[in-house]
Amino acid sequence: MSSAQLTEQRHQQGAPAARWLKRILLSDYFVLYLTIAYFLGVAVFFPALVEPRNLSNQLANVWPLAAAAIGETFVLLIAGIDLSIGATMGFASVAGAVVMTSAADKLLLGGSPLWGTLLGETGGVLANHPAAAAVAILVMLVAGMLIGALSGFFIARFRLPAFMMTLVALMFFSSAAVWITQSQNIVNLPDSFTNLGAGDVVSVYFGEKATPEIKRRDILPLVTYPMLITTGLAVLAHLLLTRTTFGRYVYAVGINRKAAAVSGVPVGRVIVAVFAIAGLCAAVAGILYSARLEGGRPTIGGGSALLDIIGATVIGGTSLSGGKGKIAWTMVGVLFFVLLSNTLNYMRLSAFHIDMVKGAVILAAALLDVLRTRLLQRDAL
Amino acid sequence: MKATTKWIAAGAAVALGLAISMPSKAADTTVCYAFQDLSTGFWVAGHQAIVSTLEKNGVKVVELNGAHDANRQLEQVKDCIAQGGAGIILTADDGDSGTVVVAAAQEADVPIATFNRPPSDMSKGIVVVADNEAVARAAVDAMNAEAQKKFATTGKKLKPLILMGDLADPNAVKRREGFMNSIAKHPELFEKPVEVATKWNSQTALAGLEAAMTADPEIDFIFTSSDFLFPTIQSVLDPLGKWKKAGEPGHIILGGLDGDDGACKLIGDGFVDSTGVQDVYLEAELALTGILDAIKASEARPNAVKLDPGFALSQANYKEMADKTWGCQVLKSKS
Repeated sequence: MSSAQLTEQRHQQGAPAARWLKRILLSDYFVLYLTIAYFLGVAVFFPALVEPRNLSNQLANVWPLAAAAIGETFVLLIAGIDLSIGATMGFASVAGAVVMTSAADKLLLGGSPLWGTLLGETGGVLANHPAAAAVAILVMLVAGMLIGALSGFFIARFRLPAFMMTLVALMFFSSAAVWITQSQNIVNLPDSFTNLGAGDVVSVYFGEKATPEIKRRDILPLVTYPMLITTGLAVLAHLLLTRTTFGRYVYAVGINRKAAAVSGVPVGRVIVAVFAIAGLCAAVAGILYSARLEGGRPTIGGGSALLDIIGATVIGGTSLSGGKGKIAWTMVGVLFFVLLSNTLNYMRLSAFHIDMVKGAVILAAALLDVLRTRLLQRDAL
Repeated sequence: MKATTKWIAAGAAVALGLAISMPSKAADTTVCYAFQDLSTGFWVAGHQAIVSTLEKNGVKVVELNGAHDANRQLEQVKDCIAQGGAGIILTADDGDSGTVVVAAAQEADVPIATFNRPPSDMSKGIVVVADNEAVARAAVDAMNAEAQKKFATTGKKLKPLILMGDLADPNAVKRREGFMNSIAKHPELFEKPVEVATKWNSQTALAGLEAAMTADPEIDFIFTSSDFLFPTIQSVLDPLGKWKKAGEPGHIILGGLDGDDGACKLIGDGFVDSTGVQDVYLEAELALTGILDAIKASEARPNAVKLDPGFALSQANYKEMADKTWGCQVLKSKS
C-alpha cells in the first residue's frame, strides 16, 4: 500500500470522528453535553457529589446567580456588557432593607445620611408594617430598573461604550450603597422577606423512616421560593426573546446595529430597555441574596460576583460579539458554573485557586465561542 | 443527532452507575474550617494552631477561604455539610453573616464553633471569643499609668484617639467599649476621645488617622483595636516626628489589642506602651475541643460561650509576661 493510499485511508477513518466532534461542538446543546460529561466524570472520583443533599445544595446556589445572568444575557445579546450588575444588586439590597428593617443600631448607622429621616432606631419607614416586605421588594426592583435604564440612556443617547458607562455606574452605585449604610449591614428584616431566601415549598426525604424522628439535615429542599422566582423570570425572559417583536429587535441590534437602525428598529429604545431589564434582573438577584443572608448588604455583589455572572453567561454560549444566545443556554451555563464551584470546593482548593480555575474556564469558553463562530462561517461559505 | 444523544445517554448511565457504586469515605471524621482570608498575624497563628491540632487528632481538615464574601462562605459551609462534614469551625466576615452561617449549620444538625469572631447572636453555637471589653480595658489601663506620668509632668490633659474596627463585628464593639470605660475612669486626665473608623482596613485607617492628626495635632494617646495597624500608625507618626520611644520627648502613648509578634517587638523596643493579649492557642484549643466533644457525643446543636480572659502586656510587665504572649512566641520562633 502506497503512502498516499495510507494517508487517504487515515483521512477516511478519521473523518466520521471529526464530523461527530464538529457536530457536537456546533450543537445548541453543547454546554449541556459538557455539563453532563463533567458531572459524571467528577462523580466517579467524588461520589459524594451525586448524593441528594449535595445536588439539592447545588440547586440552591443556582437560582440567585441565574437571575443576574439572565439580565447579563440580554445585554450581551446586543453586543454590550454590564459591569454594574453587582453594584446594582448591592444598591437594591440596601434600598429595600432601609424600607423594611424593624430596628437599626445608632452606633452602627448613626452616620448614615438617612438617619433621622428614613432610618432610625425603630427601623425604616415601614418597620413592622404588614406590607413592608412587599413594598421593599418593589423599591428594590424599581431601583434596579432605574439604574439599568440610566446606563442604557447614556449608552444610547451619547454613544458611550457600554463597558465605560457601566464601569462608572459600578463605581457610583457601589459607593453610594456604602455611603448610605456607612458600610454596615442592615439587618432585622421581616420573616416574610427572609423566607424568600431559604423557605421551601416542597421538601423531600430519601430513605427509610428508621427512627421516629427524621433528622433535619436529611430533609432536603426540592422546590424553593428562589427556584420559583428565577424559573418564572427565565420563562418570561425566554418568551420575551423568542415570541415578541422586542426579542427580534434585541437580536437584530446585536447582529448589526446599523442595519437594524436602517430596518426601522428603534435601536436607542431597545438599548435602554435591555439595560433596564438587566437592572431588574440584578435587583431580583439582590433580593434573593439579601433574603438568603438575612440582611441588606452594600457589598452583596462585590468580590468575584461579577466574574461568576459574566462567566456563567459566556460559558452558556451567549456570544460576546452579540446576536447569539438563549436563556436556556444561560441556565445551563449557570448550572455548569455552580457545578464547577461545588467540585472545586470539594477538591479543597483555596478561594484564590478556585477563581484562577474559573477564569481559565471562562477563557476557554470565550475561545470556544470564537472557534464555533469560525466553523459556522466556514460552513456557510 | 439522535445517535449522538444515545451515546451520551449511555455514557451517562455507565458513569452514574460507577459513581453511585463506589464507596465514599464517610467513615473519616471531617471538620471544615471556614475563614475569611488570613490577613493578620493573629489569623495566621490561629489557622496554624487549628489545622495542625486537628490533623494531630486524626481529623481530616477541609479549609474554606471565603475571601471576605459572605455569600461565598455560606455556600462553602453548605457544600461542606452536604459533602459529609461532621463539624465546622467558623471565622465569619462579620457578626451578621456569622449568625446566618451558624443557623444554617444548626439547621442541618452539624455542630459549629465560631473562632474569635462571634456571631451577632451569641446564643447559638459554640462561641469562642476573647473577653474583648476586659482585655481592651486592661491594655488602656496600662496606657493610663503612662498618661498619669505625662500629666504630672505637663499638667495638660491628654487627647486620646481610638482606631475602631468594623463595628458590625462584636469584637470591635467590645474593644471600643473597653477603651471608653477605661478612659471614662479618668476625666481629670483626658479630653473627649477622637474616634476613627478603620473597618479593619489599613488603607481606611491610614486615611482616617492622617486626617485626624492634621485636624488635631495635639493627639498624644492612640489606641488601635488591632495590633496589625501599628505599621500604619508608624507611617503616619514617623513623618510628623512623633514616632518616639517611651521616655523620649514627643512620645505618643500607644496601645493595641491582639498581642501579635509586631506588637511584642514594638513593646520590647519601647515604641508601644501596651497591648491586650488574646491567647490564640487557648482559643484554638477551646474551639477544637468544643467541636470534637460535640461530634463524639453526637450533639448536633451545642450552644456555649467560651471566654478567653486575656491580659495586658506592657512595658512594665514585659519581662514576666512576654513568654505567655503568643506573638512573642512567634517572634522568638522567627528569630
